[in-house]
Amino acid sequence: MNIEASPWKGSLLLLLVSNLLLWQSVTPLPVCPGGAVRCQVTLRDLFDRAVVLSHYIHNLSSEMFSEFDKRYTQGRGFISKALNSCHTSSLATPEDKEQAQQISQKDFLSLIVSILRSWNEPLYHLVTEVRGMQEAPEAILSKAIEIEEQSKRLLEGMELILSQVHPETRENAVYSVWSGLPSLQMADEESRLFAYYNLLHCLRRDSHKIDNYLKLLKCRIVHDNNC
Amino acid sequence: MFQISSYVQPSEQYKNSFLLWHGPTGMDLWQLLLTLALAGSSDAFSGRETTAAILSRVSQSLLSVNPGLKTNSSKKPKFTKCRSPELETFSCHWTDAVHHGLKNPGPIQLFYTRRNAQEGTQEWKECPDYVSAGENSCYFNSSFTSIWIPYCIKLTSNGGTVDEKCFSVNQIVQPDPPIALNWTLLNISLTGVHADIQVRWEAPPNADIQKGWMVLEYELQYKEVNETQWKMMDPILSTSVPLYSLRVDKEYEVRVRSKQRKSENYGEFSEVLYVKLPQMSQFTCEEDFYFPWLLIIIFGISGLTVMLFVFLFSKQQRIKMLILPPVPVPKIKGIDPDLLKEGKLEEVNTILAIHDSCKPEFHSDDSWVEFIELDIEDPDEKTEGSDTDRLLSSDHEKSHSNLGVKDGDSGRTSCYEPDMLETDFNASDIHDGTSQVVQPQRLKGEADLLCLDQKNQNNSPYHDACPAIHQPSVIQAEKNKPQPLLTDGAESTHQAAHIQLSNPSSLANIDFYAQVSDITPAGSVVLSPGQKNKAGVSQCDMHPEVSLCQANFIMDNAYFCEADAKKCIPVAPHIKVESHTEPSFNQEDIYITTESLTTTSGRPGTAEHVPGSEMPVPDYTSIHIVQSPQGLILNATALPLPDKEFLSSCGYVSTDQLNKIMP
Repeated sequence: MNIEASPWKGSLLLLLVSNLLLWQSVTPLPVCPGGAVRCQVTLRDLFDRAVVLSHYIHNLSSEMFSEFDKRYTQGRGFISKALNSCHTSSLATPEDKEQAQQISQKDFLSLIVSILRSWNEPLYHLVTEVRGMQEAPEAILSKAIEIEEQSKRLLEGMELILSQVHPETRENAVYSVWSGLPSLQMADEESRLFAYYNLLHCLRRDSHKIDNYLKLLKCRIVHDNNC
Repeated sequence: MFQISSYVQPSEQYKNSFLLWHGPTGMDLWQLLLTLALAGSSDAFSGRETTAAILSRVSQSLLSVNPGLKTNSSKKPKFTKCRSPELETFSCHWTDAVHHGLKNPGPIQLFYTRRNAQEGTQEWKECPDYVSAGENSCYFNSSFTSIWIPYCIKLTSNGGTVDEKCFSVNQIVQPDPPIALNWTLLNISLTGVHADIQVRWEAPPNADIQKGWMVLEYELQYKEVNETQWKMMDPILSTSVPLYSLRVDKEYEVRVRSKQRKSENYGEFSEVLYVKLPQMSQFTCEEDFYFPWLLIIIFGISGLTVMLFVFLFSKQQRIKMLILPPVPVPKIKGIDPDLLKEGKLEEVNTILAIHDSCKPEFHSDDSWVEFIELDIEDPDEKTEGSDTDRLLSSDHEKSHSNLGVKDGDSGRTSCYEPDMLETDFNASDIHDGTSQVVQPQRLKGEADLLCLDQKNQNNSPYHDACPAIHQPSVIQAEKNKPQPLLTDGAESTHQAAHIQLSNPSSLANIDFYAQVSDITPAGSVVLSPGQKNKAGVSQCDMHPEVSLCQANFIMDNAYFCEADAKKCIPVAPHIKVESHTEPSFNQEDIYITTESLTTTSGRPGTAEHVPGSEMPVPDYTSIHIVQSPQGLILNATALPLPDKEFLSSCGYVSTDQLNKIMP
């Protein structure tokens, strides 16, 4: 990241990646590339932790969605309406295994970071709005709070992994902007419920995506496609 | 049953069959009439095809009019399930429509759409593969599968939507069952009854575990062959698991199913694995060993109860104290009440003496007391103690021993401290009631006996010779006597002495020390009242002279030293105090016996008066009994002549001086 000169950039990247790959084949525990001082945790541990977090977040979002659906929107047929209207759809995420295998490591990691960043604001507003509800459902609220917190942690972890695996990557501010706050505050109950439904549905979907992507990356980077 | 086919027949038959037709009753009559009307109108057309079509339409309309006419065989096709085994492809299944007798109205079609924002409008596409997944199914291969994009499918039949469903592929994941189940024996128990096995399997081949696309969880179930209920184990992530404690004589069945970790739906179960364990021993245990918990509990409770009762009701203080320790009572440091109860007064008194709080203050003024240091351990003291015991009665002995102080107690019982005697006895002899009251008096009397110097019994006649004359002087002397402690007891001792004097024979063998009560002007010494008789005639003669000296002898000391005695003696020139034969007036002589004085004085002339029957009175005495600060009882035995060096200050005897004196 500190290398400014472009002629060095490519060669350094190549050097690092080759080192990484070499080390991957020789030792199961890759050391930090470049021997950075701040690198105290191995990449393997970082990935393990990231996978645990993403799995946890996905479980929470699934439970939250099903609870919400059971309580508020059962039988309304929202599923047919709230399809693929998530704000993160603008991000070019791989939609199946082949696409996931074709994307590069660096892009993959950046993509994950982008998705996580995109969810910072919606989660914050979700918590605020649910808390402000008249009969705030405790189960949903607690899960939303937990998801928000763990999502931040996961984002930090992913940024750390990114800086370790690809230190030259600049901090890119690519993320999707969420503009669904007005819909969450609509007066019409049906519309408001639909907005919540949509948001929770998208959250569940994206958390599953992140979980899958991380497992793929972990096997690819840490275990060399041999989990 | 409403049979339409019967109406296809020719009209004649129709007419005939109608009459013969045993059709349903009730509401079916309406259908019958309608059918008749239609049939009648169909005669005009007379065509089989048209008739059939009309009749089918009729039946359909009838069916629609009366839903009760529907049979179970006709159903609308519905989606049963859509499933993706590996998150790469998926397939959907539906139920087949059954139409009895009717031609299939039309092929059932499945249309799907991918709600993708990029695609814009919804386009319904037909199923790409009706065959691969089997009958009534649609298979979507990987090119048609997008994981996180929602799908909507609908089932159509004759253009009409029969069923519709929307989902995402990631929600319909149901992995294939594991394959290649096998088991290996881990170990067999020593009894040969139980065994442990390890069950292994492999993940379904189409699930991409290696690349991490799928993470599977497994659940194992097992049971005995003849059981009906499967035992479930917790989900595990690994592909092998041990089964513990299987009975060797039973056969088991094992099956495994897998599930994707995030979803809720388990896949199908694998094939059942049969486990037959090798039998090592011929005999098998038919019954399981049940740990006799009940017996143990019963016995334990009863045992504890018995022990508890034993402890509670036992007389043993020790055990009771272990279980229920007594509350400690306050204790005075150093003094054990048990000591007092047991009558160990000596110890109590030593303790009291140690604490220095019970020491009487009277001796503190007497500086000479400090210099008197006696070795209590001296064997002479012990022998003298025996004498003292002989001297005194057995009660006195006992009371002596009861007093905490050692030999000094006998000294205490001397005439000097009747108060101390009383206090001692009151403090120590708690349980001796009246006897203690009597004791002091008797003791005092005996103490007076001690003072009265038994071996000066010979002097007693001297004393007694002039009782009347000596009385006042004696009394005065007594008053002047240095008895700071016993001023009260003087009379009592005086009286007691009289009593005791009645039995002088008992004191024949005991050494006596006389207390100088007065010194006659002649130089003779007047001993304490009891010894008046012993004093002898010469003493009576000395009396007038005594009065002269009395004024000089106003001192509190009970001891007269030679120098002081000499002061009075020169007044009576005929009394010679000093005599080389009788160097009795040693400085160490605390008591100047009458005899010694009389012998010295009367030696020239009155030596014969020394009672021949009596034992010769030694010129000097040794200390017989130490009464710690109070006084000394001198020994009547002969002592070596002291040296001149012992001439010390009046009244004081140092330890080494004493040791030199003592043989």
